[in-house]
Amino acid sequence: MSIIYVLIPLAVIIVGIAVAVFFWAVRSKQFDDLDRQGYSILFDDDLPPEEKKLADERKRLHDRD
Amino acid sequence: MTGNVCFHCHLPLPDAEHFYAQVLGQRQAFCCPGCQAVAEAIVQNGLEDYYRFRTEAAPQAKSAALIPDELTLFDDAELQQDFVQQDDETCETTLTIEGISCAACGWLIERQLAKIAGIRQVAVNVAQRRALIRWQSDQTKLSTILSRLRHIGYNGFPFQPDKHEASYQNEQQGFMKKLGLAGIMTMQVMMLMAAHYFDWLGEMSSFMQQYFNWIALLLTTPVVIYSGAGFYASAYRALRAGSVNMDVPITIAVFLTYGSGFAATWQQSGQVYFESICMFIFLLLLSRFIEHKSRYQAMQISANMLKYIPMSALIVKDGATHPALARKLLPGDTIIVKAGELIPVDGVVCQGSSKVDEAMLTGEPTAVTKVPGDKVHGGTLNRSQVLTIEVQASLAHSLISQIIHLQQQAVANRPTAAKLADQLASYFVLAVLLIASLTYAYWYVMGNPQALWITIAVLVATCPCALGLATPTALTSAVAWLNRQGVLIKRTDVLETIEKVSTVAFDKTGTLTQGDFSIHAQWYANEADKAAVLAIAGAIEAHSEHPLAAVFARYRQGSVLLSLPHDVTIQAGLGISACYNRQHYKIGSPAFMLAQDTEDTSCPVLPSLPFTANVMLACNGKLIAAWQISDSIKAGVDSVLARLTQQHKTKTTAILSGDSQYNVDLVARQLNIQHPIAALTPAAKLDYVMQLQARGEIVMMLGDGINDAPVLSQADVAVAVGSGTDIAKASADIIFLNDSLHALPGLFTVSARTRQIIRQNFAWALGYNVCILPLAVSGILHPWMAVVGMSLSSIIVVINSTRLIRFTA
Repeated sequence: MSIIYVLIPLAVIIVGIAVAVFFWAVRSKQFDDLDRQGYSILFDDDLPPEEKKLADERKRLHDRD
Repeated sequence: MTGNVCFHCHLPLPDAEHFYAQVLGQRQAFCCPGCQAVAEAIVQNGLEDYYRFRTEAAPQAKSAALIPDELTLFDDAELQQDFVQQDDETCETTLTIEGISCAACGWLIERQLAKIAGIRQVAVNVAQRRALIRWQSDQTKLSTILSRLRHIGYNGFPFQPDKHEASYQNEQQGFMKKLGLAGIMTMQVMMLMAAHYFDWLGEMSSFMQQYFNWIALLLTTPVVIYSGAGFYASAYRALRAGSVNMDVPITIAVFLTYGSGFAATWQQSGQVYFESICMFIFLLLLSRFIEHKSRYQAMQISANMLKYIPMSALIVKDGATHPALARKLLPGDTIIVKAGELIPVDGVVCQGSSKVDEAMLTGEPTAVTKVPGDKVHGGTLNRSQVLTIEVQASLAHSLISQIIHLQQQAVANRPTAAKLADQLASYFVLAVLLIASLTYAYWYVMGNPQALWITIAVLVATCPCALGLATPTALTSAVAWLNRQGVLIKRTDVLETIEKVSTVAFDKTGTLTQGDFSIHAQWYANEADKAAVLAIAGAIEAHSEHPLAAVFARYRQGSVLLSLPHDVTIQAGLGISACYNRQHYKIGSPAFMLAQDTEDTSCPVLPSLPFTANVMLACNGKLIAAWQISDSIKAGVDSVLARLTQQHKTKTTAILSGDSQYNVDLVARQLNIQHPIAALTPAAKLDYVMQLQARGEIVMMLGDGINDAPVLSQADVAVAVGSGTDIAKASADIIFLNDSLHALPGLFTVSARTRQIIRQNFAWALGYNVCILPLAVSGILHPWMAVVGMSLSSIIVVINSTRLIRFTA
């Protein structure tokens, strides 16, 4: 049974990580809209070339910020 | 979904003509050119997937509320200061978007806007019906974004967020974090404590038990410190103000349990109830979270409705006209207001004459003629001709702003029922504290070592958790049900007040009636002549300026008259006499028919009619036709009022209108309304309701105009109808999202049902507390049993409340 003395602190650490992840998710507003993102997977994400260009541009600007 | 409904909006297709477009490889039918154009735009932009994955139909694509030209007004830098945050080259704003019906709309909007060069970020929140947009101000403009949205059938508007919205959002996030932490920790601690409780074989060594206690203490500490912080702060505030609230016993119970658990762990002897603390805090937070969430949602929806539409004006400068924003106008400026436009600010007419509709301000539907030298008010509608106006007051000092001021004052004076509930709660809490301390004193004197735990069991058992859930869960369920019926509740506590309403007061124009006149009943001496008689009436009434005369205008066209009426004499306010085709005609009020005429002395004998005629036509002294012309009552209003008076016989009904007594009486008779009160200014309406309230009446007011805003703010329950003005909606507690009053009877029944459910919840929660109290006081109940009992009691209350969601009126 002595393995419990190792496993329980390990569980506590994992719980700590889970709480930290949850707090981060709340802060980054992931719980604000529970409907929208669930649908993203249904849609094609192949963009036509001109849109791809705009999206890349946007990504570049985001990275710069 | 093909066949007889529109592919885009799923409304039935009109029989006459259909519109077609190629969508998803098939020819689809549409109900109107709007839907067709939107579908074509969606297909052209390669966004057909929207139709494949949407779960709800789109709203019908009506013609745009703003013409594209006016959209450019949103590009004005000064106007943008109010709702756009600018940072170097990037602008950021949140728009409310009309027409979002399901998650696929969010995708559609994001993809559509992402095509515009210069867009940095688009994030659509489907639940809030809002989109956050960031863009490069040097590459694109807000008006471009708005018109792109319009192409695919959505109307985006800047809006005026509620003052408290930001703080509500922070609180909401705080609640979520606290609740999440408490939930996760409760699970962990429960797991550890289960080992204690179910150690029937006694296999756990005392060292292991201590070890478990320490771990549980470690996990409980953040819950007590972080998740419960709100309760302690509220208890502290109450105590400092010299009163007690529900949070006081909660705080005491948490601190006592945690403190003694800590001591027991430290001294390695005694009992610990860490799992009880965690669960206790978790459940309490849950009830507060539910309550907060429903209030936050209502606030968001109502903020979305306060669209930010800039009022524009044509300003005359150096002989040329320029478009300008109304808020930039200064006294002394000269502006031009075209027919059909709103007059932006108070001023004096300096050129032109026109009819001005002041119904928004006065409730009087009859347009007033304005000639040079007359004063006109901001917010009124110019009906017929171009007016040149010299500005007298800036927007902030115009009449419309003064009415808003009156409304704000009324808000401050509003009677509150909430205080009584607080008072009751504090007595309850005092009783709990008293019983708990007496229990402790008794067991301490008796020398029972368990005295502290018995006291904690008393505090937990009597904890107002289920009591606290009783009202918010019932109200939230009722609000969810009402939302589905197209009713928006801004303050949930009004649901409790609705039941007690003794007088239901209506505004007339816009609420009960449509505000335009039409023929309601007619009588002809010879029914076969109907068309000819109407044509003659139309020809003669063409000379009149009277509002009732306008009804006949439509019969003038298309009819063939031999000649035009001549020798027309008008008696203001009574009627017209004229000669036509060598006959002498008189048309006007019944009084005019009976009046002695100079030309012929005969006066017609009035026949007994099945209705009250207010316009009559006589030919050579013989009555040939009679009409009842009145403001047309909105479709369905009569059946709604019939249901209302039948179901709630004790409620008094009244009309509070700015219109003339005659018109108000007419509507009141048709709808069977007891007290028609006419010719009221906004301030007089307010006075009337205050008088009723002084007599102890609970008043519900339904209105739509700017003139109703003050009285809406004063009424105990204020309802604005969907077509109403923003200021009326801002003053109301309840908003009917559609134009009709259909939801009114349902509102009363659901509020009665809600009250019933709340009573059941209270009866259960109090009954449980009273039954459990002797057990707790006598020391039979352990704290953990108290917590389990409390949880079960809470769950029963929640389940009972959710019955309201499935309620059928």
